[in-house]
Amino acid sequence: MTRLKLYTAIYVVLFVSATVQVLVEQAGIAYETALAVILALSFVKAVIVAGYYQHLRWEPRSLTYLMGIGLLAVLALTVAATYSITP
Amino acid sequence: MTDDPTDGPTAPTDDGAASSGETDHDAERARADGGALEVADGHAQDEHAMPPTSSLKRWFVTTNHKDVGLLYIATSLSFLMLGGVLALLMRAQLWVPRAPGTGPLSAMAYNQAVSVHGLVMVFWFLSPFAFGFANYVVPLQMGAKDLAFPRLNALSYWLYLSSGVLLFVSFFQGGTFAGGWTMYAPLNLPAFTPSVGGSAAVLALMLFVASVTVSSVNFLTTMHRMRAEGLTLRRLPLFSWTILLTVWMMLFAFAALLAALLLLSADRLLGTTYFAVNGANGALLWTHLFWFFGHPEVYIVFFPALGVMAEVFQTFTGRRIVGRKWFIAAMVLVALQSFIVWMHHMFLTSINLEIKTLFMATTIGISLPFDLMVFSLIYTMVKGKIRFKTPFLFSFGGLLLFILGGITGVFLGAVVLDYEFRGTYWVVAHFHYVMVGGVTALIGGLYYWYPKMVGRMYDEFLGKVHFALYFVGFNLLYFPMFVAWETPRRVFDYDPGMTAWHQMATVGAVVLGASFLVMIYNLVTSAYRGEVADEDPWNYVTTAEWAVSSPPPLENFPGLPSYARGTLEFLGGSSSALKTVDDDAPAAADRGTGAATDGGAPATLDGSEALAASAHTAEEVQAGEDHHASHASVWPFLVGVGALLLLLGLSGFTNATWSEGAMGTAHQASTGVGAVVTFGALVGMAREQFVGPSGPYGESWPFEKVSNMKTGMWIFLVSDVVLFGAFIGAYVFLRFSSGWIAWEPIPDNVVPGLINTYLLLTSSFTVILALEAAERESRGGVVASLVATVVLGLGFLGNKAIEWEHLFTDKGIWIDSGIRESTFFVTTGLHAAHVVVGLLITLYLILRAWNGAYLDDAAPVEHFGLYWHFVDIVWLFLFPLFYIL
Ligand code: HEM
Ligand SMILES: [Cu+2]
Repeated sequence: MTRLKLYTAIYVVLFVSATVQVLVEQAGIAYETALAVILALSFVKAVIVAGYYQHLRWEPRSLTYLMGIGLLAVLALTVAATYSITP
Repeated sequence: MTDDPTDGPTAPTDDGAASSGETDHDAERARADGGALEVADGHAQDEHAMPPTSSLKRWFVTTNHKDVGLLYIATSLSFLMLGGVLALLMRAQLWVPRAPGTGPLSAMAYNQAVSVHGLVMVFWFLSPFAFGFANYVVPLQMGAKDLAFPRLNALSYWLYLSSGVLLFVSFFQGGTFAGGWTMYAPLNLPAFTPSVGGSAAVLALMLFVASVTVSSVNFLTTMHRMRAEGLTLRRLPLFSWTILLTVWMMLFAFAALLAALLLLSADRLLGTTYFAVNGANGALLWTHLFWFFGHPEVYIVFFPALGVMAEVFQTFTGRRIVGRKWFIAAMVLVALQSFIVWMHHMFLTSINLEIKTLFMATTIGISLPFDLMVFSLIYTMVKGKIRFKTPFLFSFGGLLLFILGGITGVFLGAVVLDYEFRGTYWVVAHFHYVMVGGVTALIGGLYYWYPKMVGRMYDEFLGKVHFALYFVGFNLLYFPMFVAWETPRRVFDYDPGMTAWHQMATVGAVVLGASFLVMIYNLVTSAYRGEVADEDPWNYVTTAEWAVSSPPPLENFPGLPSYARGTLEFLGGSSSALKTVDDDAPAAADRGTGAATDGGAPATLDGSEALAASAHTAEEVQAGEDHHASHASVWPFLVGVGALLLLLGLSGFTNATWSEGAMGTAHQASTGVGAVVTFGALVGMAREQFVGPSGPYGESWPFEKVSNMKTGMWIFLVSDVVLFGAFIGAYVFLRFSSGWIAWEPIPDNVVPGLINTYLLLTSSFTVILALEAAERESRGGVVASLVATVVLGLGFLGNKAIEWEHLFTDKGIWIDSGIRESTFFVTTGLHAAHVVVGLLITLYLILRAWNGAYLDDAAPVEHFGLYWHFVDIVWLFLFPLFYIL
């Protein structure tokens, strides 16, 4: 039962933080700051879903590394490609 | 068909985190592959009786890895012939410099020949040829009875064949794709390559990618999870090592290609504007996506050849490869580095000088480990005693060609030199030396494993004749291209001063082509008349495929293979042979001298001692022998047929309209029938009782505690991460190109997106509830939670439909209104497609759950959840990127 409570708490956190993302944008802070905060929130949510709902937290680390490598690969592609643009 | 899970002999198949994580061999033993996890074995036998090899039916239903391997080899050789004929046509056209409209080929026909020759050779011949060997040999080398998911393996083959048929048919759909194998933008758009066949070729490649992805997931799961006891990765034979690294590269690289092809198909079929001429940097985006795939791809095609070289060098020099450990380390390094050199194909695009310099450096870096491998092979020859048999000649020839190709590649990696060489025959010569150099080694592999696969020896004299003709023809064909390097690539008009070189090349092409006739004659006649081969015709071998008869029995081994004592032994079987293992142990180093571990020595130790040294118990060994695996299923073939019809039909859809008249009707019908057949066959496959091979067999690093299905699921999800990542990367790239800040989100209202976020989060929660209910064995709970998931998912889609409707009609925008619109609709559309697939699976789960499934084994619900939560995670990024920022 306690696991169910944990899942429920996580659900509430995710729900709220999605709302917060919208509120941040409307709060009228600088665009760059808002961008950083909103994306950071997305990353945190993703980690929570992967860690608890996909229960990576309790799986062998190798699965986490596996996903990390995939993420790293596309980040490399995105960053290098975007950086390559001649202004 | 029994759905009663209680009459199965096996425990629940999931041993992952949720259930405390033990590795229980028995629990793993009888896992079925695909969707029929909860079904017991025993009854499945009769339906899956395997027809004999002489029966045609066998080849349509087989799921056995050795059969599939033979199918791959035969099919890929057919594509070699297709690609070869196209090449000869090109060489005929190049006999003298010509003006357009003269010579045997029209200008457009020449463009098609160049494009499809490249596509066929790289995709439909080279890799599948290598994977024929991989299919046949890797499970044998690993001590596995089959791949982890035999039906998925058959599916890979049928998707491959279907994609090839579609490519071939595309010639007859108003001409096939004519924009080069690299499919550069904007030439790849209907504005410039308008034929239906052009779209068909793009879709064919997409289907090929689907086949590769299925295959990668299968091989990775198998090679990590199903190795024999004691066969650690350190001890894995070198050919298997190269295949392992190849499939890892394939998993990531082909996902990027899939992204590129999906975007291209959206542009071609639906009319989005990713790569449009007046778009925001679309041409550069294509080169990034294509070469992020493309450079790893050149190693994907080369690594298996390297593996063949290593095996053949060991066998025919009679010694272990020098510096085996370093050889492996160098390969791992190259596999990683292959993902950070792609821009050396883009030195003449608009990328900036800083990044060019950086990628020149990484390119120099990647040639270093290759040097190490080359020297290790050469040194092995120097220290060994060479037997000049045909497989060795081809492998050695391949090495020489590769060295020349590699050196000329280093020239291209230098930015300033590449300014000169780009777009010339220097590049053509370079990559033919490396790639066809690889083919050379693979042909060595064909001769090497021929007696194993056929049970008879090829004719050695004819083999040597083949090599002589091949090697002379090859160099006569490609070396002049270095000399005549100023010839512009992909163009049939050139400076008349170079005519003699081109004529030499054309003669070489004919010689090279003719040499294959010798090979085919040899291999066909030897299959009937050749000397009968025993299990080890080479007398010095180090890998397990030579420890069993030629050809091996259906389930490969006379008992449970184990390397617990450093050498291969069969536990429990009627016979037990003793063979050497290709490892780092000192004993393995001087096997050639006839020491105790000499390959081919008969068993000297009795079985009970072997069993005592093993971690396997006698009961486990017995259970393995009693295990009745299925070997036949017709569904993979039917999925292949359905996919072919579906994509053939879709090729008639251009810029959101069907082609005119009767052809249009035919295309629509084909699409409809194809969709129904594909879907029906997939459902049939999910419902079929199919018992996979027993296993795992002892070594499962690094996934010891994760079941086969779950491992496969996660590996698949990684490729999906790369797919979505590339979509998002494309969005970021294009948004940067057109000015980040000025780019406003398409939806004017964030609320629908926020509501959809809520809906999707809630559906993730209900999927968790379904899993909890299954574990508490509450049938009502499972059904209710899954129904809630469907309702929420439909809500998500409905809400999106309303939103899109509003955007289309009230705001008057369409997917082709601009790049902003294209990225929005395509990226969120791909996500919505994932939701649709998820809902279809959920409906299937509900039906099963209603009948009481999943209560004793929640694994399918859990695995589905992994997928669904992933779709949720993607949305967590799409929502802010496309609605807020
Ligand atoms: C020492 C290692 C290698 C280096 C430094 C190297 C370098 C390069 C460079 C810089 C190019 C781009 C040339 C241009 O388009 O201007 C190129 C093209 C190419 N390379 Fe390599 N290469 C190496 C090995 C290989 C291998 C092993 C293969 C395949 C088995 C290969 C296949 C190709 C292909 C197919 C192209 C042409 C792509 C196209 O159609 O534009 N290369 N190589
Ligand atoms: Cu490259």
